[in-house]
Amino acid sequence: MTESMHTRAQRLLAQSLVEGLSANDQAWLDAHLRACANCSAEAARTQELVRSFRNVSVLVPRDLAARTQMRVRLRAQEASETSPSGMLLWVITAASWLLGVFSAPLVWRMFAWVGMRLDLPKPLLEVGFVLWWTVPALIAVAVVLYQRSTSRGARSL
Amino acid sequence: MTDERQTLADGLRRRDPNLLDRLIEQYQQRLYRYLVFLTGDTAVAEDLFQETWIRVLERGHQYNAKSKFESWLFAIARHLVIDLSRRKKLASLEELADPESSQPYEPADDRAASALQLLVARENEQAVQLSLLKIPPYYREVLLLRFHEELALDEIANVLSTPISTVKSRLYRGLEALKSVLPEGAA
Repeated sequence: MTESMHTRAQRLLAQSLVEGLSANDQAWLDAHLRACANCSAEAARTQELVRSFRNVSVLVPRDLAARTQMRVRLRAQEASETSPSGMLLWVITAASWLLGVFSAPLVWRMFAWVGMRLDLPKPLLEVGFVLWWTVPALIAVAVVLYQRSTSRGARSL
Repeated sequence: MTDERQTLADGLRRRDPNLLDRLIEQYQQRLYRYLVFLTGDTAVAEDLFQETWIRVLERGHQYNAKSKFESWLFAIARHLVIDLSRRKKLASLEELADPESSQPYEPADDRAASALQLLVARENEQAVQLSLLKIPPYYREVLLLRFHEELALDEIANVLSTPISTVKSRLYRGLEALKSVLPEGAA
C-alpha cells in the first residue's frame, strides 16, 4: 500500500465530514479502511471526535429566557410609546416647512414694515428674518435630542 | 417549510410579543451555546443573548423568510460579538473579524480555558471540551455551526458572510486543530 493511498484516505475522511463524498470515493474509502488498520483507527478516532463534539453541552442559566422575554417586552412597549410621537414630529416638521415656504413673502413684508416704522438697519432685519425661521427648528432639534438622551438613560437603568 | 418561515416573518414584522416569547424559549439553548463558544465568557454571552433578541425585535422586518431563521439569528448574534470586540478590543474576539488567518495555528494557553470549564456537563466529553478552548474562536464557530447546528455549508456562509470556500477551509483546519490539541487517547 503506497503512502499516497493513506494520504488520500485521510483527505477523504475529512472531506466526508465537511462536504460529503461521491459514491465512488466512498466505496474506495470503505475498501481502504477495511484493508488498512492505521487508517481505520484514524477514522474511528475522527468519528469519535465529532461524536464527542456533538455531545458538548452548555448549561443555559435558569432564568435567562424569562429575563430576556421581559426585557424584549419592555423594549417593545417603549418603542410603541415613542413611535407615535416620532410620527407626530415628522408631521409637524412637514407642516411648518410648507407654511414657511408659502408665508415667507408675507413675513418678509412684515419685517420690512416693522423696520421702516422703527427705522432699523437692513442687516438687523435680515438677521431677524433668518432667526424667525431657524429658532423654532433649533428648539425642535433640542427637544428631540433631550428626549433621546432621557429615554437612553432610562433604558440603561 | 416556506409557509412556516413566512408566518414567522409576518409575526416578526408585527413585533408579535407571543411569537418572540416562543422564539426566545425555543432557541435559548442554541443561541446561548453559540455565544459561549464564540466569546468563551458566560457573562458576556448572557448580555449578548439579550441584545440579540432586542435586535430581533427591532429588525424583525428585515427577516425575509428566504433563509432559515436560525441562520439570520446567528448572523445577528455574530455581528454583536464583533461589535463588542471592536469596542472593547478583546483580542480573542477580534479574531472572528479576521477573514482568514494566514498565521500558523498555535494552541492557546491552558489558563485561558477557565471560563468554559465551568460549563462541563458530561465528564466523558471533558477532553473535547477542554480542547475546544484551545483552538481559535473562528474554528470553534464553524465546527459548532456544522456539527452542532448541522447547518449546510451555504447556510454557514450566510451566517459568516464569507464564501463557501472559506467555510470549507475553516472546517478542515478546525478539525485538524481540534485533533492536534486533543490529548493522545482522548476521543
